[in-house]
Amino acid sequence: MSAIFRLANRQTALKFKTNFGLLSLVRPVTLKPQPAPKEEDLGHDARNMKLGRPQSPHLTIYAPQMTSMLSISHRATGMILTFYTIVLGTGAIILPDSIETYLNALEEYHVGGVVLSVGKFILAFPLTYHYWNGIRHLAWDIGLFLSLKEVYMTGFAMLGLAYGSAAVLSVI
Amino acid sequence: MALALILRNAPKIQAGAFQQNLIKSSSILMVRDLAPAHKQHSTLSKPSHSLIAPQKFSQVRLMSADHSKLWPMEKALSVSMIALVPAAIAMPNIVFDNLLAVASVIHFHWGLEAVVVDYARPIVVGNILPKLALGLLYLISATTLGGLIYFNINDIGIGKTIRKFWAIKE
Repeated sequence: MSAIFRLANRQTALKFKTNFGLLSLVRPVTLKPQPAPKEEDLGHDARNMKLGRPQSPHLTIYAPQMTSMLSISHRATGMILTFYTIVLGTGAIILPDSIETYLNALEEYHVGGVVLSVGKFILAFPLTYHYWNGIRHLAWDIGLFLSLKEVYMTGFAMLGLAYGSAAVLSVI
Repeated sequence: MALALILRNAPKIQAGAFQQNLIKSSSILMVRDLAPAHKQHSTLSKPSHSLIAPQKFSQVRLMSADHSKLWPMEKALSVSMIALVPAAIAMPNIVFDNLLAVASVIHFHWGLEAVVVDYARPIVVGNILPKLALGLLYLISATTLGGLIYFNINDIGIGKTIRKFWAIKE
């Protein structure tokens, strides 16, 4: 008996399937909330490398600007001054004689006023540049001259002071 | 959908350290939820982003030691050097010479430390080279400081050296 009913049911079901094709696709679905897949945390550098992004600023395609050039030369002049300091410090340990011996020897050579002036300019310029631009950086640190116009204005002023004071130092 | 996400994340939001940020971003989402249907799909993809983003920024990147206390010291040293450098050249004496030696070595040490951290990144050059470079920097800084103080005590000193070189006219 039950078998008949079951078969009959299947028959009607089949009929429904053929008559209402779309309806047969409707079936109950339970949606289970699932957290979003967690992004692998690589850190800033690794993530950008994985994405194939060039490092910012992309120096080979980015036009050199006064702002960035003055910034990198601040570091460069700092490194030159560091070089002076290291040479003087290690020289004092390594060299056998007093510095006066070497300075006197240089005086004996009579390399000429022009060469000395050029030499003094080359030696002094990193100091004057790093000195004046250092003041500019410290002004930024306390919140001064931060608009783009002021950044350029102080940049030109700093360059004038740096070249000017190095020129004065080279002839005295 | 977005609202469900918010509700589901609500406990996390309450627990998060960046409560304010997250609540702000979730309130933005609720506003977005009311947006017309054609904009809905952006709300579907964005919630997870804006909920995760503040947590990402909250991570402390250990590029160097805690810099919040070091930074004012660096700046104070730089400010003092504005006066110290001209003074040590104008009026050479052992006190100025030694102050200049200590100040410039600390100043260049911090500067070169930043250079090493910036250019010798472990992700580019590996883990060993940055450590070597920093170790070498400490060696150089210590040697230079020792040499300069030795020079100030046993030789004519930094200020006089600069003046004497500058006095050479031809």
